[in-house]
Amino acid sequence: MKKRTLLIIAKQFCASVFKSKAIYLLVLTLVVLLVIAARSGVAYYDQNHYRIDHQQMARESWEGNPDKHPHRMAHFGTFAFRLKHPLSIFDFGVESFTGNAVFLEAHKQNVVNFSEASFSTGLLRFGELSMAMVLQTILPLIIFFIGYSAIVADRENGTLKILLTQGAKWKEILFGKALGLSAISLLFCLPFLGTITFILLTEEHVVQDDWMRFAIIVIAYSLVCFILSFITIYVSLKSDSSKNALVKLLGLWLLMVILVPRTSQAIGAYFYETPSKVEFRAAIEQDVLKYGDSHDINDPFFKALKDSVLQANHVKTVEELPFNYGGFLMSKGERISANIYGEHHKQLLDQYRKQNQLTQWLAIINPFLALKNLSMSVSGTDFESYVHFQEQAEDYRYKLAQKMNSLQMKYITPNPNDKTKGSQVSRDQWKSFSDFQYTQLTTEAAILNVKVSIISILSWFIFSIALLVYGAKKATAI
Amino acid sequence: MSLYLLMFRQFVRTRICQLGLSMVLVLGIISIFIGKQFLDKQRATAAQVAETQQEHIKRNVDLHKDDLGLLLYYLKFAVVNDVSPLAGLSIGQKDINPSVQNVTILALEGQKYDADLVNPATLLFGNLDLSFLIVYVFPLLVIAFNYNLLSEEEEGGTWKMVSVMSVHRWRHLFTKMSVRAVLLFGVLIILFIIAAGILGIEYNLAFSKIILTSMLYIAFWFAIVAFIISLRRSSNFNAVALLFCWLIFLILIPAVLNNVIVNKYPMPEAFTTMIKQRDGYHEKWDTNKRETVEKFYKQYPQFSSYGFPSEASKLQWLWYYAMQNLGDVESKEESALLEAKVLKRDDVSQTWSMLVPSLHAQLIFNSLAGTGMENYLDFLNYTEQFHEKTRLYLYPKIFSYNKAEGVDWDRFKPEHVSFEAHITWSHLLLPFIGAIFLLVCATLISFRYFNS
Amino acid sequence: MLEAINLSKKYGEHQALKSLNLNVPAGETYCLLGQNGAGKTTTINLFLGLLKPSGGKTLINGVEVNMDKNTTNSMIAYIPEVVQLYGNLNGLENLEFFSRLSGHNHSKKWLVSLLSKAGLKEKHHTKKLSSYSKGMRQKVGVAIALSKNAQVIFMDEPTSGLDPQATAEFTAICKELVSEGKTIFMATHDIFNAVNVGSRIGIMKEGELIHSGKTLDLTAIELQDLYLKTI
Repeated sequence: MKKRTLLIIAKQFCASVFKSKAIYLLVLTLVVLLVIAARSGVAYYDQNHYRIDHQQMARESWEGNPDKHPHRMAHFGTFAFRLKHPLSIFDFGVESFTGNAVFLEAHKQNVVNFSEASFSTGLLRFGELSMAMVLQTILPLIIFFIGYSAIVADRENGTLKILLTQGAKWKEILFGKALGLSAISLLFCLPFLGTITFILLTEEHVVQDDWMRFAIIVIAYSLVCFILSFITIYVSLKSDSSKNALVKLLGLWLLMVILVPRTSQAIGAYFYETPSKVEFRAAIEQDVLKYGDSHDINDPFFKALKDSVLQANHVKTVEELPFNYGGFLMSKGERISANIYGEHHKQLLDQYRKQNQLTQWLAIINPFLALKNLSMSVSGTDFESYVHFQEQAEDYRYKLAQKMNSLQMKYITPNPNDKTKGSQVSRDQWKSFSDFQYTQLTTEAAILNVKVSIISILSWFIFSIALLVYGAKKATAI
Repeated sequence: MSLYLLMFRQFVRTRICQLGLSMVLVLGIISIFIGKQFLDKQRATAAQVAETQQEHIKRNVDLHKDDLGLLLYYLKFAVVNDVSPLAGLSIGQKDINPSVQNVTILALEGQKYDADLVNPATLLFGNLDLSFLIVYVFPLLVIAFNYNLLSEEEEGGTWKMVSVMSVHRWRHLFTKMSVRAVLLFGVLIILFIIAAGILGIEYNLAFSKIILTSMLYIAFWFAIVAFIISLRRSSNFNAVALLFCWLIFLILIPAVLNNVIVNKYPMPEAFTTMIKQRDGYHEKWDTNKRETVEKFYKQYPQFSSYGFPSEASKLQWLWYYAMQNLGDVESKEESALLEAKVLKRDDVSQTWSMLVPSLHAQLIFNSLAGTGMENYLDFLNYTEQFHEKTRLYLYPKIFSYNKAEGVDWDRFKPEHVSFEAHITWSHLLLPFIGAIFLLVCATLISFRYFNS
Repeated sequence: MLEAINLSKKYGEHQALKSLNLNVPAGETYCLLGQNGAGKTTTINLFLGLLKPSGGKTLINGVEVNMDKNTTNSMIAYIPEVVQLYGNLNGLENLEFFSRLSGHNHSKKWLVSLLSKAGLKEKHHTKKLSSYSKGMRQKVGVAIALSKNAQVIFMDEPTSGLDPQATAEFTAICKELVSEGKTIFMATHDIFNAVNVGSRIGIMKEGELIHSGKTLDLTAIELQDLYLKTI
């Protein structure tokens, strides 16, 4: 394969594409979509302001509490607001379908509420326009549209014969055109990546790590541009008329981009049923009751617990203990119920993961899906990033409840008649318990979560090259 | 007639027809089973609530029979929004908005927006219900079956023959198209019949409105195809132009509209309501009890005979429930703003959908199946009424220090409600008929223009 | 210059060429006549190396096409029935593209002179190819062949659909090429033109060469009689 010939063919392909008027219409469409998507992305991301403000508002009222009994503070509770990753400007992922705020209090794991979807009118289900969506959905169509006739039209009108008798090799023709098409599709990506770079540069919350994530996005989308261009040229080579090539490619797009993802996820959800909130709560309540009911004075578990504590401290009644027994009891109860909840929640998440599994694995045969999964994960907007938030919120909730319990044990009088300790704790304690601080999933973890997709994109890249090499071997001009 | 049969046979034998119809049948049956599973799950949840409520009440009554105030701190009362079998056709928002509310008589604001447990990834990819098939996939079949209706004959050279042989060559085209229409409408009806059987849908007005909407929507796509054909361009042009139309109506316009609505009407009130409700309740612990109870009596003067609690006493249920209620009262403003915004969002999407048949069809399906936003808002309002009704019944019993046996617990069975969709005929029909009329006019004009 | 030895080609069951033997010396214009499906285009495709023979071989200047395609390829050029090329590029751009493809790096001036030599008026050089008539396209095809400095030029039905003036111009160009020592091999239906430009004639029927000879001693009428008789 001669580099010179390759470049001549690639350049000629680009030149002839830019000589047609249709390309400018496509460029215009893409630019309009880019502007809309970028503006929405920034506006979506700006909702972080509401969340930061409310996190602050919740904190102020937490700190504003006077001296009081710590258990009342445990019920006063606080809130965790989910902050968006800066790259969510690029790829909205599941963001609109995940809850954004959760009330954190003792004894109770509340649902993360107020997702965008819960306020939506059903319009949302048609999808959202993000920059990633344009690159994943619309750009492939444009690549197919520009490239479908690349080989087959030359064959139909005999130009291919001239090309070959002029000394071009099949490999040079195929790869030349494929590279030309790739160059054009990369050119289409450029404004999108440029816009994101600009936004990230002007955004104050961006850290080093985010640039690393962005680099992965750039590489992944570029590779997919190559893959799609190579496949387009292969289909064009293998079709007997340009109409056939077009119909094949459009059919491929519909199947791979629209039908397969939705069907596979629906089938996954069909086979792995998940409980509704009512069932989920009831199952947890059942398990907690199995341990025992701390409200019931005659409950054997809690009675045994009390006896062992009394014995260990060599006293007869809880009032004689050196610490507040109520606080102790609640810290035990909190640990038990948090463990049970954690168990159930893990099962639920595993069930969700099973539902997602089919779609995850289908990424192996569907590069569009691989790109979608990878892009979401790296943009911090996928399922696992959301789970990461839930886990942090629950972790903080547990710490808060236990902190209040330990304050109760330490500072609250075990005996109403003993006046050495009061029934309140100083408000300074509220301030000294730090606020909820959300940290994003690490980049390594985000990448590991989508290893199937990464392998898929890399193998597709190699496969699509192999396809063209194979095509070149078998190709005929007639 | 035999000519018609011949055309029928010719089309049925093409690969695209066999492939397209079998795909839509398979997907259709999958979608119906998904709808069936959804309905079963909704019903199972409702049944479980009914079953456990009694048990739940009994267990707690046994534990706290002497302290009604404490007992009602724990007790939950269910209200169930009955799911219509039509929801199996169009799941809409029903997967995320729960159709069971399980509320205590404490402050409501913190409870009522509790979402159901959902897998966000499943929501992202969307439900594969019959409405998806009708809104997304049927138009694709209309396009695939018709895009080369005329260009195929022109490119293959048969059009000249047809023009010479037939007096009414346009009628020939129309007949060809009608063959495809008959097949597609036939498959649609078959799917509806299967769905009615499996989902247990009775034939009623709402169901027939759904069928009518589907047919009009598909007819709208036939009109688009007719218009593109009338431009008399190549098969390739038609395929690209029609797919572009599909993209516009099913991906781009809805997505852009959604982005605009979300950004124009953000929902910070949701967060504020949540915080205010908590603060409104909790700060009463540290303020004057008399003030709190006075505010409560302003709400409900009928209870003022219960007097005021002494500041010294530790806990009095009258004061406690007054605090809880004031949590709701003090977040009322934000709550109302929130509801107004949700209504505004609904309103804007309804208005715009009049111009976009794909959106219109989906929203009509959701409304008729009771899975849309307005159904959920109705349910939330009902939950509020139910909550107040329950509270008002129980308040005097708590305030007068009744014991648990003083309450007739049997009356607390889960309450079932259902809401009628209000869709006028003109609202349903006008957008479709308007769009089809415009397209047919454009088609006739352009045929005349390109023919001369 | 061109040689076919026992050349045969099968498409599945169909025998397109049956043991064809052919010899064209350098500097000749060889016209291959025959009905549609007689095997003319297949013969050309085999010489071009676009098809592999089922049996026998093709030689160009003594080099077997399927053994050393690089060498044979450098000696030949091809002009199809309708020279389509790239409609949205102009004649000069098309010529530049194809000449660079063959490894040459001609100056623009030289390319312009080639187009002019091929008979394309200078004002048309920078017009889009999609606006060209069939004759003009053919001239670009000839210029491409010239730019490659090919010794053999294959043509498939070069005169079909050309008006008489364009045909005359084309004939003139062919004669000029031959006078410069090029070899031309064309498949054609046009008996009169074959007699006019061809120095040798071959008539094919069902994959076989049933007549081959010089045209000097034939008139067009005689050839037509011969053609009708043989097929």
